[in-house]
Amino acid sequence: MSLSRRRFLALSAPAMMAFGRSAPRLFAQAANQSSEKDSDNILVVVQMSGGNDGLNTVIPHSHDEYKKSRPTLAISKDDVFAIDDDFGLHPELNGFADLLEDGRLGIVQGVGYPNPNRSHFESMDIWHTCFRKNESRQDGWLGRAIDQVQQQSSLDIPALHLGHQKQPFALTSLVHRVPTVKSLDQFRLEPLSQMTVPELQQGVRLERSESANLLGFVQSSTENALDVAQRMLETTSGYQPSVTYPESPIANDLKTIAQLIDSEFATRIYYVEIDGFDTHSEQALAHASLLKHVSESVTAFLNDIQQHGHGDRVLVTCFSEFGRRVAENASKGTDHGTAAPMFLAGNAVQPGLIGEHPDLTNLEQGDLVFHTDFREVYAGILENWLNLESKRVLGGSFDPVAFLNSSVS
Amino acid sequence: MHDIDPGWAWSPVEESQQPWTRQLAAHLYRRAGFSATSETLDEAANKSAAEVVAELVDGRTESEEYLAQMKQLGRTVVATGNVENLPAWWMYRFLTTTDMLREKMTLFWHGHFATSGDKVTDPQLMVDQNELLRRNSLGNFGTLVAEISRNPAMLIYLDSVTNRKAHPNENFAREVMELFALGEGRYTEDDIRELSRCFTGWEIRNGRYRFNRYQHDSGRKSILGQEGPFDGDEGVAIVLDQPALPDFIIGKLYQFFIADEPAPPAELLAPLTIEFRENGLNIAPVLKRILSSQLFYSPHSVARKVRSPVEFSVGFLRALEGSTDQYALTSGLSELGQVPFFPPNVKGWDGGRTWINSSTLLARSNLIQSILKNKNTRFSNGTLSDLFDKHRLNSSQEIIDWLETMLLAVSLPETVRLQLQSKIDSGSGNREERLKEVVHLICGLPEYQLS
Repeated sequence: MSLSRRRFLALSAPAMMAFGRSAPRLFAQAANQSSEKDSDNILVVVQMSGGNDGLNTVIPHSHDEYKKSRPTLAISKDDVFAIDDDFGLHPELNGFADLLEDGRLGIVQGVGYPNPNRSHFESMDIWHTCFRKNESRQDGWLGRAIDQVQQQSSLDIPALHLGHQKQPFALTSLVHRVPTVKSLDQFRLEPLSQMTVPELQQGVRLERSESANLLGFVQSSTENALDVAQRMLETTSGYQPSVTYPESPIANDLKTIAQLIDSEFATRIYYVEIDGFDTHSEQALAHASLLKHVSESVTAFLNDIQQHGHGDRVLVTCFSEFGRRVAENASKGTDHGTAAPMFLAGNAVQPGLIGEHPDLTNLEQGDLVFHTDFREVYAGILENWLNLESKRVLGGSFDPVAFLNSSVS
Repeated sequence: MHDIDPGWAWSPVEESQQPWTRQLAAHLYRRAGFSATSETLDEAANKSAAEVVAELVDGRTESEEYLAQMKQLGRTVVATGNVENLPAWWMYRFLTTTDMLREKMTLFWHGHFATSGDKVTDPQLMVDQNELLRRNSLGNFGTLVAEISRNPAMLIYLDSVTNRKAHPNENFAREVMELFALGEGRYTEDDIRELSRCFTGWEIRNGRYRFNRYQHDSGRKSILGQEGPFDGDEGVAIVLDQPALPDFIIGKLYQFFIADEPAPPAELLAPLTIEFRENGLNIAPVLKRILSSQLFYSPHSVARKVRSPVEFSVGFLRALEGSTDQYALTSGLSELGQVPFFPPNVKGWDGGRTWINSSTLLARSNLIQSILKNKNTRFSNGTLSDLFDKHRLNSSQEIIDWLETMLLAVSLPETVRLQLQSKIDSGSGNREERLKEVVHLICGLPEYQLS
């Protein structure tokens, strides 16, 4: 067995520092060529859409301001899974509590960005692109990451979106098309005769005169869809999950990802979404059920890939476009807020709280002031996990959040 | 885009510059409706563009019998108690209505004032809202917003069934500004908080709007620079009076009717936003101007949109005089990413490039395949051969030419045309099978995804 990429990088780290800025790319490439395909790290992004109530996820149970602001929604110390003396996980986050105890869950506290936007769509676009509305934004942060991956070593399918939703902006690349797979069963072209697929492929591939615009986009997307569908048919039969997944769309999506990781796909980035976190009224039960879905599904997924021998190279991250207002509203819900925790899960993660919790007594317009910029978390993921240069992806220099345990980085 | 002269863009299309043809009539019916039959295109080509547009905008051609039938069907669907049965009902209307533009605009407003049966769950409330949108679809935007603000389905969808004085729920007020009227960034967070105070006391009880004066905050508010003890209606009126409003609505209409991209510069939209403001936010005159404009029939617009799933499927059947199993058709739609009555979120469908990904592209092709395979599918009450015979299409070349006009906004590469022709002339299988395959292939090509 050849030297794994990570060990290669670890061994050569002092050399890189000596070379300065341009060196890591060179070494990453060398590492890539010398390693087996399955030694590359994989990122799985879980998007919790609608604005997750961070305060009722990682709970400052004993804080006076918390109890006072949440007369019906506050969760008491007795009900949480303790993280430390001051904070606990929501009572439905059993899975995450197990991961934490197992040393596989890191929680970055108070993640947000300056001058927060409270529109779902604008804030999500900011998280997806790292840019504001008044700046030019045609591609997403992961799309730009994919462009770098493809420069290093061209993969058939560098990234994949699983789910029934439209493709997230984060995955938009100006150069590469990212496939969206709703379900593996339906991800194929149903032909009227044996000739349909090759004839369609032939017709799609022909050069068009106006390939730069919308037609060109549809053309390359169709070509990609037909190719990927064929590859999927060839490589994904016969997978047996080693754990029982819960019954939910996000669990199914994650199970499919486990299956793809275990097949020959060299995909580096996977993306799934769970919607419903916009809890303006009657929040308690709905929020509990959503957190349960996320925590159980992610935990089942990590246990599954662990038992299939891929645990060391998978990192899961969970984020939402914003947290929610500290004070609850009159409908037993919460309105749009700002900073919230992000989760990082996997064997390589330094377990426990990362960064500081926003001060509950120092609010801006009733909202938390962020502590860690989400782009610092992205920088950590890009630089330390995916071995990519973060500055080009994020449109600026951000200090990478250190979330890997020391035996890895 | 920045080079386009706004004066030229919105002036009426001129016969001398842009001869009126079946192809351009097909473009008009794809955008202002859901595609038209060959006969309709012939009739349209014998009139002027202005006449056809006037018919689309002003015409009320649905018969009393048809309206009664739709009402009866609606009652039947509501009686099942299941919102999941609503999309097939609306799809039937898309397929059969003679007032295409009104139905198209009803779908536009459904995306704009997005409300989902997933959350509302009561089919009667969804049908009521649908009727509200249809009734106002070509009417006055101010009236539309005023009515939608008290619409039970909308208020349930935006968590505003109760709205108490003490801690007002901001959801509805936020979406009025961000998604219904002004666009993101044209207001402050304080404006939202103040507007939400105006809506306190607005409630839904037993499926009806009710004002609860005990829960209304009658204090002074400060909204978008104006101060006073405003109630909900006054709050809405202040929003409607903002200069940002015509920009926002006209921008959306531009994207819906002219082109997905690039975003038009403000100067290009200016003549329309001025007209919209000056005519008191009436929708029909602006639509008439858009649909008879130089820009609409120019290469800046033709084939510059991705077909929505409804346009893709309904347009296929309407252009080829087709009918099929209604429920099979509708159940296929969710794979394509658009189910009427079930928009993905409060922002509706983004459209444009977001309709396209590998799954939706495969699903598009598979939907056409399943329609062609379905034993209940008829083209002009017969087979594809019958349809082509009816239109006196003898050679394979005539068939491909005809299909191009009927189905495509942009012509096929010559190599593909020849490939399809030889498939009709000498492919394997019987003639009907070969014709079906050719139609299936055309609908899988990039060209058919554009409108």
